[in-house]
Amino acid sequence: MNTATHTSTHTMISEKDLHTTTMRSAGELIKRSLINTRRLPSAFFPTLAMPIFNMVSFSGTFFALTKLPNFPTDRSVNWFMPLGLAMGSAFSGVGLGFSLIRDLENGFYDRLRMSPTSRVSLIVGPVLATWIRVTLVSVVVFIAGFLLGARPTAGLLSYVCSLAAALGISTIGAGWGLGLGYRFQDMRGAAIMQLSIFLTMFMSTAQVPLNVMTGWLHTVARLNPITNIFRLSRSGWVNQTDPGYMSWSNAYGGLLAIGVLSVLSLIFALQSLKNIDN
Amino acid sequence: MTSTTAVLSQTQVTRSPATAVRQTVALAKRSTLELFRQPAIVLPSMIFPLFFAFLGNSSFGRTTSLPGFPKVSSYLQFQLAGTITQGVLFGSVTGAAALATDIENGFFDRLLAAPTSRTGILFGRLAGSVLFGALETAVFIFALLPFGADVSAGIRGIMAMIVSGALISLAVGALMSSVALKTGSSEAVQGTFPLLFILLFFSSAFFPRETMTGVYKTIAGLNPISHLVEGLRALSLEGFTASATARAILVPLAIAIVALFIANRQLRSRLKSH
Repeated sequence: MNTATHTSTHTMISEKDLHTTTMRSAGELIKRSLINTRRLPSAFFPTLAMPIFNMVSFSGTFFALTKLPNFPTDRSVNWFMPLGLAMGSAFSGVGLGFSLIRDLENGFYDRLRMSPTSRVSLIVGPVLATWIRVTLVSVVVFIAGFLLGARPTAGLLSYVCSLAAALGISTIGAGWGLGLGYRFQDMRGAAIMQLSIFLTMFMSTAQVPLNVMTGWLHTVARLNPITNIFRLSRSGWVNQTDPGYMSWSNAYGGLLAIGVLSVLSLIFALQSLKNIDN
Repeated sequence: MTSTTAVLSQTQVTRSPATAVRQTVALAKRSTLELFRQPAIVLPSMIFPLFFAFLGNSSFGRTTSLPGFPKVSSYLQFQLAGTITQGVLFGSVTGAAALATDIENGFFDRLLAAPTSRTGILFGRLAGSVLFGALETAVFIFALLPFGADVSAGIRGIMAMIVSGALISLAVGALMSSVALKTGSSEAVQGTFPLLFILLFFSSAFFPRETMTGVYKTIAGLNPISHLVEGLRALSLEGFTASATARAILVPLAIAIVALFIANRQLRSRLKSH
């Protein structure tokens, strides 16, 4: 009896210790990632520049789209700012895969794997660091967008929805990037990461709404869950009379897509990590 | 004695135009084969522009009725010139990166140690890019033609477009080769890719200048890429006219002459440092 109680208590302490270790390790990995961002701004710069460039160039080049009948907004920057944000977030997430490949190639990751660190922390830490970076990028994009003439149509909720979508896309991208990084363990994986994210993003309502599309893209975009995430992201930037305007029915599809795709991609990352260990 | 003979031979060889041409052709063959033997490197510059063309056709198909949009049978017809320019730009970066790789791995130095024509090193490499540019142009035209990318100028227009594609490739390839010769780094050449991407998006490659407003319209008007695209587009939309052909051929030719001058200067500068 005493032995049983002792064992049980011992197990509970171990689990608690393990949890603490996971969080502590994840915390250290977040710290490492953020220090790297500060020390190597050139590596972070593309993540910041890409969404701004995307927003500026698309809203200028495709300005005339807003003249189409039933286009959801009369401000092109309102339409393309969420696209810039989504692209920046996706590549910020996928960028984790690039960092992972570098760490695998230079041996840093082997040292992490040899340490008594929880495997979950190797995924949770970098993902949380990406969230911090994506939040910073989002703030800069919102400011740049405002200066270019972007105006929310649902107040603070507009920003909240766009930020939620950005964080969701970065999580999906991170899980996918880490999973492919663990599987390929070299730069072959990087090409697949970029290509797959790029294709998935553009075969949705990234550029134009469903009612403007024609042909094959309309069918593909309607089935692509990223379309739901774009709907969520743009719900506070379209005209109040547009069917895509902020409402629960326009938000839940995006939240569901983020939830399901995030879980699937993170499971893929974890399983791929376990494959390395085995 | 042997050394003197060798030096004299080298001088004689490099001064013979026939030998220089033969060496340039050999180097051109090498650079062409190199491109075709590495499909993983060159295929993206073919697949991505085609993907964007089909994506654009489905996304912007309804915009052709907007005020200011030129009269076209489909968005794909309008987009054809943009697709060619996009593919040729990206393909030229690959060619220039290969020149930088030659510098990095010492092949360039071995060529310099051999009695090889110096300009042949540059022109041989560019010839590969030009052939690839012409091939890409033909592939894009014939791949998009069945889907509505009509070329109003007919078969003569298609031939002129292929020549124009080759000249664009020469112009961009020479500019990128300058970067390769200046830096000797393939990473630096690849690093110019975002710059080309920015130039492409701030041009009339995907949408007509007439539909743009304000500063965007000004930037697109000043952007040389717009003029390269619009020359090609004139053949596609206006038919085989003297004005369209001249724009399609002369604009890239003028840029190519300037770019070749810059690249040649960079080559001389690199040779001096050896």
